[in-house]
Amino acid sequence: MKSKRVYLRELAHARSGDKGDLVNIALIAHDEEAFEILKQGITTEILKSWFEGWTEGPFEIYSIESIHSLNCIIHNVLQGGGTTSRRLDAQGKALGQALLQAWIEV
Amino acid sequence: MVKKSKIGKVTSTTPSVLIGGAGGFWGDRTYAPVDMLTHNDLDYITMDYLAEVTMSIMSKSYSSNPKLGWATDLERWLKKGGISLLREKGVRLVTNAGGVNPVSCAQMVLDVACSIGWTNCQVAVVTGDNVLSILHSSAKEGEQFQHMFDKSKEPLLHHDEIIAANAYLGAGPIGRSIAKGADIVITGRVADASLIVGCMLHASGWAQNAENESLPICGPIHSWSEKEEQESLDLLAGWSVAGHLIECGAQVCGGNFTNLPANIDISDISYPIAKISFDGSSIITKSKGGGIVNRASVIEQLLYEIDDPSNYITPDVIVDISMVSIEELGDNQVKVSSVSGRIPPERLKISSCYHDAYFITSQLLVPGPEPLAKAQQTDKILRKRVAHLKDIIIETEFFGAGASLPLGLRKLLDKTTNSNPREILVRWGVSSTNRQSLNVFASEIAPLVLTGPAGVSGYSARSKPRKQLAFFPTSIRREHVEEQVEITFIHTLRSEIEERYPWLKRNVTTRIDNVMMNSDSRTKLAVARVIRRRLHMPRIWKAVN
Repeated sequence: MKSKRVYLRELAHARSGDKGDLVNIALIAHDEEAFEILKQGITTEILKSWFEGWTEGPFEIYSIESIHSLNCIIHNVLQGGGTTSRRLDAQGKALGQALLQAWIEV
Repeated sequence: MVKKSKIGKVTSTTPSVLIGGAGGFWGDRTYAPVDMLTHNDLDYITMDYLAEVTMSIMSKSYSSNPKLGWATDLERWLKKGGISLLREKGVRLVTNAGGVNPVSCAQMVLDVACSIGWTNCQVAVVTGDNVLSILHSSAKEGEQFQHMFDKSKEPLLHHDEIIAANAYLGAGPIGRSIAKGADIVITGRVADASLIVGCMLHASGWAQNAENESLPICGPIHSWSEKEEQESLDLLAGWSVAGHLIECGAQVCGGNFTNLPANIDISDISYPIAKISFDGSSIITKSKGGGIVNRASVIEQLLYEIDDPSNYITPDVIVDISMVSIEELGDNQVKVSSVSGRIPPERLKISSCYHDAYFITSQLLVPGPEPLAKAQQTDKILRKRVAHLKDIIIETEFFGAGASLPLGLRKLLDKTTNSNPREILVRWGVSSTNRQSLNVFASEIAPLVLTGPAGVSGYSARSKPRKQLAFFPTSIRREHVEEQVEITFIHTLRSEIEERYPWLKRNVTTRIDNVMMNSDSRTKLAVARVIRRRLHMPRIWKAVN
């Protein structure tokens, strides 16, 4: 069967925040079906490829079934943390919206 | 019931406790608490002013002026009707606005209360979160103060210039302050959700139990209730989750919300209210005004700034939200339940900061045609001109060309999407341990307008290097901190005098106050002695003059 691209924004909504030098990105699926696709598609490998050049990780993904959500943890991504990052989005607040522009193959 | 009762006895007729979350950081909408107090009949109002780095910013202002170091926005809204509303409506205020100087903050609060004639306003201040002085003594006992998440980093004490180190205190001292009769509780660093849990410790009567039995003010708070341990921990977990949901203010009411419905106006966004029950569940709703509270907005905030959902650590309880239930009740009400708790860790988190380097930013606008190519050329020219500076790190971002996306994702999208920006904002963030190198870098920005590619503009004043603080999370054994935690009720001389002599004209008390604030210590002592011991008016007057 041929795979097709599904954009994350079609599957989920998102919010990101920081804690020290890590960013958490919550991906909240619109429904159960979308959650199943999301769980298949969002892997530490794909996070690693999206964040290549920014961090080597580690990456963690927690699944919270009752609210159809994945909590993605990206470590060592803020150049030391919100106060030492040289980027304008020093706290990774834009990264949730960034991921909604990505796609996965299903 | 809860509101009126000073001792916090809860009866079965009290279905839930209403707690407002009227701000998410120092810099949030200043007068939101006044709005919230005006439109609601709350039991408690809470304000979280402290983000991770706020304490270090406050430390800087404190070192330049020992009366500062707290969130001055508090004074602004209290003076704009807030203090009267608290008094008239009998709402208790709990806030960490005290920052690194909670005593000065609390004195300000009492002063504002006195200015409306509320001279018996009970202002409690919680101190003891500052652990700078005990870091070194603990080190002698073998404490390493390693980085909380990255053990490969140099331990904290290896850094020379530690600016601030504060432990996250829990809800215990807050609950006990209210049980002792506080109308307003001012703290320094406490865990954000603990502001709300502290209110619940009072509302549930647990704090009063502990008060009656003279238990230590920091807990363990789960042993303050008469319930089974697991039930107490589950309740604390439920209250903590409610606290977590409202401590970022309007972020649960449609702010920073991915799928904001098109018909929802957030220009007059309202702030959240938690109706917290004694079964550990809560209903998240909002004040009057714009915005929305629905299942999606609550879940976004529930997962905000957390890592392992089964192991959300607070000083009060370890929270497990992995089985959480979120139920939309309609009319901007969402019920949150089914969270559980475990015994909190033996170590408290410390947020500390040390001086790391210097930092500047500069930016320029690069117009089309071909703005990205021109912006990249501008960056290349600049980097060549500063190539002799070996001790700087430059980050260049091209806004308009995907700078907000992580690099790997940006490259992937660039391959597949065809975007033609009309212009690019190029921004340089540069850090160095050498301030002079940054000055040299800054001096090379303006010349690009005349000596760079066509149309480059947007230059403003040469930016000045500023100190960059590195945030360093670590931890400390609870008992080292808890033995220094204290609750103090603020009694300024002025409030004492005004309470005792309500007929005294305000200009007299102001004068006394000024003398006490601005005189040398000998004069202060003399005035205080006369007032406190003799309470003899002509002599007070003479002393003040």
